[in-house]
Amino acid sequence: MTMTSTVKFAQSRPRGRKIARLTTDLWLVVAVIVVTLGIASQRPQLLDAVNIATVLKSFSIMVVMVLGLTWVIASGKIDVSFMQVAALSNMICAYALAQGWSWGGAIVVALLAGALVGLINGWLVASMRLPALIVTISTAGICASIAAALGKGTVIRIADPGPLEPLLQPALGGAVPMIVVPVLLIAAVAWFVQERLSFGRYIYALGQNEAAVRAVGVPVVKLTVILFVLSGVSSALAGILLASSLSSGQPMIGGPFLINGLTVVLLGGMMVRVGKPNILGTLTATLFIGVLFSGATLLGLPDFQRQIIQGGLLLTGLIVATIAASHHGARTAGQ
Amino acid sequence: MRTWKDRMRHSTRGLGFVALVLIVAAIFGALEPRFLSYVSLNGIARHMAANGLAALGLTFVVIVRKFDLSIAGVAAFCAMSMGALIAAGWPLWSVILAGLALGAVIGGISGIAISRFGLPDIVTTIAVGSIGTGLAFIYTGGRSIFQNFFTSGITDLNDAKLMGLGVSMWLLVAIYALAWFVLSRTRTGLAFYATGENPMAAHFSGIATRRFVALAYVLCAMCTVLAVLLILAESGTAETNKGANLMMPAYAGVFLGAAIMGGTSVIASFGGILLITMLLDGFALMGLPYYYSDGVVSLILLIGVLAFSDGARGTLEALRFLFWPQKPTAKGSDA
Amino acid sequence: MGAPVLIASDVCKRFGPVQALRNVDFRLEPGEVHALLGINGAGKSTFIKILSGALQKDSGTIRIGGEDVHFRAPEDAIRAGIATVQQHPELVPDMSGLDNIFLGRETASRSLMGRIDREALEARADALLARFAVPIDLSQEVGQMSAVEREAVAILQAIAVDGIRVLILDEPTSTLTDVEREDLFALMNQLRAQGIAIIYITHQLEEVFAIADSFSVFRGGACVARMSVDEARSSGVSLADLMLGEAVGDIFPKKADPDARGDVFLEVRDLSLTHGFENVSFTAHRGEILGLFGLVGSGCDELAKSIFGVDPPDQGEIRIHGKPVSLRKPREALDAGIFLVPGDRRTEGLALSRHSLFNVPMANLRRAAGGRWGLKSRQLRSDIQRLTDQVALHPPHLNTPASGFSGGNQQKIVLAKGLYSEADIYIFVEPTVGVDIGARAKIYGLMRDLSERAAVIVVSSDCDEVHGVADRTIALHKGRHVEPESGVFSRDDLLMAGIMGKGSL
Repeated sequence: MTMTSTVKFAQSRPRGRKIARLTTDLWLVVAVIVVTLGIASQRPQLLDAVNIATVLKSFSIMVVMVLGLTWVIASGKIDVSFMQVAALSNMICAYALAQGWSWGGAIVVALLAGALVGLINGWLVASMRLPALIVTISTAGICASIAAALGKGTVIRIADPGPLEPLLQPALGGAVPMIVVPVLLIAAVAWFVQERLSFGRYIYALGQNEAAVRAVGVPVVKLTVILFVLSGVSSALAGILLASSLSSGQPMIGGPFLINGLTVVLLGGMMVRVGKPNILGTLTATLFIGVLFSGATLLGLPDFQRQIIQGGLLLTGLIVATIAASHHGARTAGQ
Repeated sequence: MRTWKDRMRHSTRGLGFVALVLIVAAIFGALEPRFLSYVSLNGIARHMAANGLAALGLTFVVIVRKFDLSIAGVAAFCAMSMGALIAAGWPLWSVILAGLALGAVIGGISGIAISRFGLPDIVTTIAVGSIGTGLAFIYTGGRSIFQNFFTSGITDLNDAKLMGLGVSMWLLVAIYALAWFVLSRTRTGLAFYATGENPMAAHFSGIATRRFVALAYVLCAMCTVLAVLLILAESGTAETNKGANLMMPAYAGVFLGAAIMGGTSVIASFGGILLITMLLDGFALMGLPYYYSDGVVSLILLIGVLAFSDGARGTLEALRFLFWPQKPTAKGSDA
Repeated sequence: MGAPVLIASDVCKRFGPVQALRNVDFRLEPGEVHALLGINGAGKSTFIKILSGALQKDSGTIRIGGEDVHFRAPEDAIRAGIATVQQHPELVPDMSGLDNIFLGRETASRSLMGRIDREALEARADALLARFAVPIDLSQEVGQMSAVEREAVAILQAIAVDGIRVLILDEPTSTLTDVEREDLFALMNQLRAQGIAIIYITHQLEEVFAIADSFSVFRGGACVARMSVDEARSSGVSLADLMLGEAVGDIFPKKADPDARGDVFLEVRDLSLTHGFENVSFTAHRGEILGLFGLVGSGCDELAKSIFGVDPPDQGEIRIHGKPVSLRKPREALDAGIFLVPGDRRTEGLALSRHSLFNVPMANLRRAAGGRWGLKSRQLRSDIQRLTDQVALHPPHLNTPASGFSGGNQQKIVLAKGLYSEADIYIFVEPTVGVDIGARAKIYGLMRDLSERAAVIVVSSDCDEVHGVADRTIALHKGRHVEPESGVFSRDDLLMAGIMGKGSL
């Protein structure tokens, strides 16, 4: 047996490996800084208070939108319904308000709708063993239709932007919207759960080998359902924020979010835990994309060019991730 | 390759399918007599042609156990490209060939990226599709193209009739027949299925699995081009959102058909898309607003896949066991 | 000898029309290593599943430590003290051995939101290793461990739960080499010393005498024999006879007459592959079965796959019928007349969800299409029927998916696939892993028949098998081939050659 002597756990890693680790962990942060400085040198308006506020507002909404999705993908499944869930909750808010409900009630119903969709997704995928893509494509379509139906095909205007609106205003130093604080807090809690609680460990174990997790008695179905529900609720929350932000219910919202959402989760997945989506990565990647697109707008690029860049970014990210994964595999094999 | 037992099972399911179609037709006919009119049936045939071709392309991809989410993007880009060529005065046949070639190239890019470089299919095709959607704007910045459309003869594809049946329908039947022959009666077909069932075993059997996966994507893109060609023929203009509605019915048709027939095949997709098109047109005729169509198709897909899933079968078995328990024949006392 | 830790009486189980278990009685003492023997379908897997809580018995009683137990789920069995290690244990490759051992049990409450305390886990691991001194680095990722290390992790995972009294091991040695098996036996002895009883399922009959105290034989759903190893040894009973229920002769066919050896079909000269093997040379003749014995990791599997084009060699020469060839992929190897029966039939050999009519022609689609494009169904059907009769596929249904057959019969389907490919050179890798003794004998017989018009090479880490079936043997040790000093290897010399490389050129 090619075994070493008995267990030694406190293994001090050689210095070289520690530095290499830091690079793979944090290269995206470096990228964010580099890109920001690069664009700012061409368009200093990037760092205007107003612009920063806009970027951070989108950042907050996007992070909320894909927070749950991060874990769903980490666990080996996919959820492409997150945008339509946001659209649905967006329209539910608008509709409820138009019917005379208070914001509080509207928010509750919208969140419940998100949770319900997540429950359905989770049950069909985990309990009925249907492929996640087909299930979430279908629920996406259903949500989109309900969302459009609520507005009879058009937008619903919201008169009173509600209690969440002030959060979206740049209050801190004139540049940072208050909403960033609770979002970062939620992300911090999520990070803690991911790293320090067994919940997080099971998510990644699921993504690697579902049979192993099942075999030790971890309730896989329950866990998967929870993940999809979290995804639904977080998307719904994003939809609510959008309702406040846009002062209207927009059923068609969501198109560009699909690419963005998947891009940030997958790009973020190349950071910290190489190849596996994680909370910190999602945060950093969202900031990265946000700065990039703010820059694109400032540079006057039309929408479709931005979309091409989006797709290109995603593709590049995938290629890099695949190469990195194969290197890791090769290192493992040639021991 | 099938044994007689397979054939029996197949024809029972096939008959079930036919019965389903007749039932749906009867229900719609009762609710809305216009459904069974010549005009309406003609419309179904025409819509089915476009949807059916997209579904056929997707069938190849699903047989090799992959997904392709770039259909909308491919459709958009190729539609605008073909429109631009028509406007530039190219003869129709060369426009069609150019469109097919373009589609083949895009499909080839996706296919090679996925088969040779190991990129994940879902996200890669989303990326490629979004690049395609963006590229659709490069010709006119988003404005629709319609010059020369009537003079080019493209609208004949929609209007002309051969022995009472629209040209588009003939095209559909011809291509489906060809695909059916290839997939079920030739060695290429067996190779396709083998690649999907167990790529490693197929590789060890000397089957060029990577080539077949890439080929599946190429065929899917080319079929999408044909589908969008028919859409162009019907509307007489090229717009950047043409083809956006191809993906959902295609998935629904392939998976619903596969669920009912017990496996993915050309016949299954044909039946599936027939049902879906009938349902869509029927609901439209009954006055259901357009924004419901996605939701309806999604719901039917979900119910169909669920009803014929293993999970459902398991529940049915359990229920049956509950009502008709086996007679106890084992010796020994009850535990 | 105190009270038995496990007593089963009159256990019955039926699946539809099939009576899988009939009135099975079973007994296990603390610290006893008890082997379970029986061909596939004899009922031992069913019995094990009932003991482990994966299935529920129809009738009968099971007592653990004197108390009646009823298992509704695997959790109940574990709580009652029965732990099971599956044949191919599922572990999470990117996680360390430590994390895998305590997966699902990181906290006492086993809640989803339990706080993971690294130090506490390490302490528990240390305590575990103090009880069972397994020389293994648990901080290593499981994906980077060797097969026996992974098995050890799986066993540690099973016994990490408090109060385990019975450990069930399902064919733990099927992927281990002889040397690694000894390590496993050492671990089992430690478990036994601590009073943990072990139920040990194996197809390797000689292991029974090596490690077990006693054994039971299952046949046709009933437990037909139970005796201690000492009894069996002194009475000279044939285990194979007990398992098959009739006098079984030697399972290996007669050797070929050396003079009847035909031309050289395959010649391999100085073949090398980095991280695989080095300067391997041998010849394979028609009319002769060549045996290649080597431990897991000796390069045997890599060599076979390399010749077949899956991972082409870096250096060296391959000649087929005297002509040099360069085989860069399996397609080229098949065209050149080589067929590989791969070591893992489930992932490399068959499309499990498809029936024989789909699987058998896969490697020779040209023949299936009569040289053209369309498949010739009628001809194909009759050809395949003939082949499945030839390999004695049981049950002889062409439309049953491969997954519905036992391991031995699945291997026969792969064999039929090979016969359909009409190759000149057949390479068998680990041909009887997980195959019961009846099918094994049949497969060896088919190899013998095959060798009459083709060259047959058997590559295996089972020394008995290689020595038994082959006419001529060589060994592979750490990537280099070992030839006998004088003519032919004896069984023991072959073993030594494979383990230690003795007798090398």
